[in-house]
Amino acid sequence: MNLSLLQSAAADNRWADLFPELPLALLALFLLVLEIVLPKRQHRSIPVVAILGQVALLVALLVNLRGGMTEQLTFNGLLRHSPTGQFFRVLFLVTSLLVSILGVVSLARQRMPRVEFFHIVMVVAAAMMLLVQSHHFVMFFVALETVTVGFYILVSYFRTNPLSLEAGLKYLVMGALSSAILLFGIVLLYGAVGNPALAPSGIAAGAMDFASVRQFLLAHPDNFLAQLGIVLVLSGVAFKIGAVPFQIWVPDVYQGAPTPVTAFLAVGSKAAGFGALVVLAGVFAPCKSLVIPVLSVMAGATILFGNLAALTQYNVKRLIALSGVSHAGYLLIGVIAAYYDPAALSGVYFYLIAYLVASFAVFGVMTHVCGENEADQELEHYADLAQTHPFLALVLVIGLGSLAGIPPLAGFIGKLMIFLAAFSAGLYVLLGIAVLGVMISIYYYFGWIKAACFSAWRLPTPAGEAVPSLPRTPVAWPARITLGTLAVASVVLGLWQGPIIGWLLAR
Amino acid sequence: MADLLFYVLGGVTLGTAALTVLSRNAVNSAMFFLLSLLATAGLFVLLDAYLLAALLVLVYAGAVVALFLFIIMLLDMQGGVRPPFTRATIAAAVAATGLLTVAVLGFVKRAQLSVAPVSPDLPVVGASLKAYAAQLFTTYLLPVQVVGFLLLIAMLGVIVLSKRVEGLEDIK
Repeated sequence: MNLSLLQSAAADNRWADLFPELPLALLALFLLVLEIVLPKRQHRSIPVVAILGQVALLVALLVNLRGGMTEQLTFNGLLRHSPTGQFFRVLFLVTSLLVSILGVVSLARQRMPRVEFFHIVMVVAAAMMLLVQSHHFVMFFVALETVTVGFYILVSYFRTNPLSLEAGLKYLVMGALSSAILLFGIVLLYGAVGNPALAPSGIAAGAMDFASVRQFLLAHPDNFLAQLGIVLVLSGVAFKIGAVPFQIWVPDVYQGAPTPVTAFLAVGSKAAGFGALVVLAGVFAPCKSLVIPVLSVMAGATILFGNLAALTQYNVKRLIALSGVSHAGYLLIGVIAAYYDPAALSGVYFYLIAYLVASFAVFGVMTHVCGENEADQELEHYADLAQTHPFLALVLVIGLGSLAGIPPLAGFIGKLMIFLAAFSAGLYVLLGIAVLGVMISIYYYFGWIKAACFSAWRLPTPAGEAVPSLPRTPVAWPARITLGTLAVASVVLGLWQGPIIGWLLAR
Repeated sequence: MADLLFYVLGGVTLGTAALTVLSRNAVNSAMFFLLSLLATAGLFVLLDAYLLAALLVLVYAGAVVALFLFIIMLLDMQGGVRPPFTRATIAAAVAATGLLTVAVLGFVKRAQLSVAPVSPDLPVVGASLKAYAAQLFTTYLLPVQVVGFLLLIAMLGVIVLSKRVEGLEDIK
């Protein structure tokens, strides 16, 4: 093979189209170089470089938003760029930026190495962007594994805490299991699609390509091997989004992980899972009669389990983990409704935006209202927050209100869009379960607000016992600006969705 | 001849895999696992996937099982006494076996496993190192680069989670 032949074969590898994945990964590498080059006392500036670099990338991405919108296949059909992909790029970049900001607050209390944390967060975010844009099972699996391996490390990052290590081990075992299930599904699909005896005419790309999988399913919607593969692939993705019956790891891992990582899992990993699920739902669309019942049962069970299990929690990290499970259920309803009307996806995307903004407001407050042991965050620790830290309490109330779906806030609009889509799709049973779930969720979200704001309802400390000191971290100005912006965004997006919703609906 | 070899190798793979789970001594388990992998590599050879067979032997049999043996040696694991199964475990095992039987029966009955005869001149990408490498460095260049990052963060993770840090009290 000579050089020119190699060149023509590689002509489709258009690296410049990988914006911001490639710069983000390079920035991550640059951090490691800085750690080697800079003298030790200047190491504190490396997180600042990470955050400012991500802000610069975000600005560049937003300025150049239209540039990446054209639908095209690059890298020999491994990637498919689309407006949806562009939306997820912005979402993941904002997520990794916010995780980095929370990471600075959280790591300041620990004596752990710092730079690696930001490096891994950025690499994982870049891999998430590739995951939702993948158009080929090889790319899909490699990107998914990069995300998962990154999370194994991030979850067990605070290694002096036994709960963090335990969470890392649990996530490793469950992640390996889910990867195995997913891989088995991919192999079965590959076997069915690659079978020359069944190949419909006109499959040009390999049997791993999403387009040829879809073509095959159109020709043979009742192929048993392919159906088995579809169920297994959906199960593998359901592990990542924490949908019932694959939610078993969620509470322990969310509790043990450092708080910024919990936020990354809750928002980033879930959004990546849903991005992948939306892509796969399109690929599996010819097998609607199989996919819709599977997803419907999952969605109903997820909403009920998440909300009922969250009712009994006193540890706020477990509470937010289980409520996150129920949010995955609402999002699943949106994905199902999209089979009847593709416009339902705009509801899913808006819900993800609202969920990101509200979750990071809550996680930001959680990062400040905890001590060195990040797994130990009880509702009691929030006592008198409104009196001592009115700013944090206000942000918490807005964030929780948005998660609960209280009217003027963004979370309400997200839920409304998904419920309207479910109504017009005729999913009345799921809609009923979802409304019931929202009513249950108000109880535990407001229990948290009550713990933070209304000291009169607190149990009195028994006489003779010392009042326990409450862990609080002072809010520095960068975190103050971030939390303020998130709270304001939750309110503004609830009252005025502006061009976002127009753009989402126009697609 | 090839059919007979297939059944022999398949039987060895399944039998040793079962013994891996069933044997009480951890070293025996690791050794049966090794045999199972070697038989699987034999199956790949029957499919003309020589590269895959060689990689399986080198990576799994060579590196992974050796690692297992090191860990077994370091932890000094003996067989030990297995606690008796609880009622719940037995119920779960019966249910799982039933489900698995139904699944396998459904698979055998309904999967259209009939395959058209493959023409012998069909290119087999995984067979030769050269064809495989050409694919890796042209079509699949992006996944290769991403795997590079995967390995990098995995290495960083090992360092972060195990390196001795000054003033850090690790749990024993």
